[in-house]
Amino acid sequence: MRAILGSALALLFAASTAHALDKTSVAALAFVSSAPIFIAKEKGYFEAEGLDVEIKFFQAAQPVAVAVASGDADFGITGLTGGFFNLAAKGALKIVAAQSREEPGYNFVAYVVTPKAYEAGFRSPKDYKGKTVGITQVGSTFHYNIGMLADKYGFKLGDVSLKPLQSVPNMVAALKGGQVDSVLLPANQALGLEKDGSGKIIGWVHEHTPWQLGALFTSTKNTTEKRPMVQRFVKAYVKAAADYADAFHQRDAAGKRVFGPKADALIPILQKYVKPEPSADQVKASVSFIDPQGRLLVKNLYEQVAWYKAQGMVDAGADAKTMIDLGFVQGHLDLPK
Amino acid sequence: MPPDAAARPVDFRAGGFEPRPGRTAPWIAAAAILGAWQIASAAGLLPDLFMPSPEAVITALGRMWASGELTLHLIASVQRIAIGFAIGAAAGLAVGFAMGIVSLARAVGLPIVSALFPIPKIALLPLLILWLGIGEPSKVATIALGVFFPTALATKTAVDGVPRNLIRMAQSFGMPAFAIVLKIVAPGAMPGILGGFRIAASIALILVTAAEMIGAEHGVGALVLGAGNLMQTDKLIAGVVLLSIMGLLVAAGIGALEKWLLRWR
Repeated sequence: MRAILGSALALLFAASTAHALDKTSVAALAFVSSAPIFIAKEKGYFEAEGLDVEIKFFQAAQPVAVAVASGDADFGITGLTGGFFNLAAKGALKIVAAQSREEPGYNFVAYVVTPKAYEAGFRSPKDYKGKTVGITQVGSTFHYNIGMLADKYGFKLGDVSLKPLQSVPNMVAALKGGQVDSVLLPANQALGLEKDGSGKIIGWVHEHTPWQLGALFTSTKNTTEKRPMVQRFVKAYVKAAADYADAFHQRDAAGKRVFGPKADALIPILQKYVKPEPSADQVKASVSFIDPQGRLLVKNLYEQVAWYKAQGMVDAGADAKTMIDLGFVQGHLDLPK
Repeated sequence: MPPDAAARPVDFRAGGFEPRPGRTAPWIAAAAILGAWQIASAAGLLPDLFMPSPEAVITALGRMWASGELTLHLIASVQRIAIGFAIGAAAGLAVGFAMGIVSLARAVGLPIVSALFPIPKIALLPLLILWLGIGEPSKVATIALGVFFPTALATKTAVDGVPRNLIRMAQSFGMPAFAIVLKIVAPGAMPGILGGFRIAASIALILVTAAEMIGAEHGVGALVLGAGNLMQTDKLIAGVVLLSIMGLLVAAGIGALEKWLLRWR
């Protein structure tokens, strides 16, 4: 009798704690760069904050932003694109914490050229003038990367012929077929191309133009109506980001990245969510730099918005200040005056 | 039947349904739709984020026109359509006439053309890119293929429909075969061929939009896709309006061609 009563009580308790969890959702890509979300979910950091988080997967950065703007998901985590800033400019979205950034010393996106172009002397990202470059989409992070190079090395973006090819596999195919001189690719694909001899890496984005590549964001409505919930979510996210940094940011005295037992412990979590499932080596080649405290390079976000506006890709009325809510993470970096 | 029933007049009832094109009604309807749309936007019923107001669309068109962007996109698309249509229509006419006149050409050609016609040509674009590269040739080839099949089939059917007795008469008068084709078969088949052109032109418009979605810097398709990627809904709808105008212009152009070529009727 007592046992029955006990188990009934236990059941009741379990039901009530399950009930106490607030349901929320995050839109993400099944990429390694969404890692803190996966870690927070698997290690129970969200649950510890009283959140029951559903991860909704999308195929591209664009739908992630749209899903948050339309209320289909509460949070989104992905790379920042022209489309994102246009949605944010209309007051729908607020950036709350950092995702990947191009940090010196951490290979993430590479400039890859065809062997033929390499032979012909295309050996530095300073030489993009007059070249044909495959990108995914107009206003994508790859587009912005070339734009930053143009500004830094003093050539005109108009002098580069940009071919929007819609997907990374199309870009790889176009490079292999010699239909473009260069593409920008994440480390995993770039190293793969160099290994099979169909591409040459002439540099890494972090060596030339470090920048804030991605962010965690939510709807403006959530930041006003459900502020405590957003705070709890960000807290769990940052805790997972710290775990991630602890495991994947280690470098030896020579600056080479090393992966110890902590990395090995997290890799199975990433393998569970990332599609197509990567090998442990592929995970190690793909792990980007994510700030351990979720801090954003705020000034760079302002620069991104200014660049998209100058290109006519983001409406002239857009104001970066209204797109970011700095109140959820302490000590953001590089604040503009 | 009572005698007085015969005296009852019967109204003419068999008026049938005769839809006639009105002059003012279509404009009023269009204005009403646009007006309702604008009012719904202004009242906040349609969120600006997902559905811009007609005013915003017109402003976007104006901005693109002023910056020269619009001309760039239009020239790119019109060029592709013109070259693709010319190649596809010329080949379609040649093959269609051959299938309509020569037995061997019909025996060999008709099954092949019929088998390839239903393939959505846009599915071949990746293959064409592999063969011809990412530049203009693959896009033009997609359009040319899309135009070729309906033109060839329409031409063959139209040639079949030319009254046999006219051809027989010309033959009995000893007219050379080439002259028969030029003076009797071609004019007789012209209405059917132009019908084929109408279908081919709308297919060309669909294909240019789709083909420009891969690897094109300029063109109305690239404009629509780029605006979608950037969530610039005003520009996106402006691009759709452009496509609609292009479609109307092409239809009007073929209508004019029809009037001119068939003036002998």
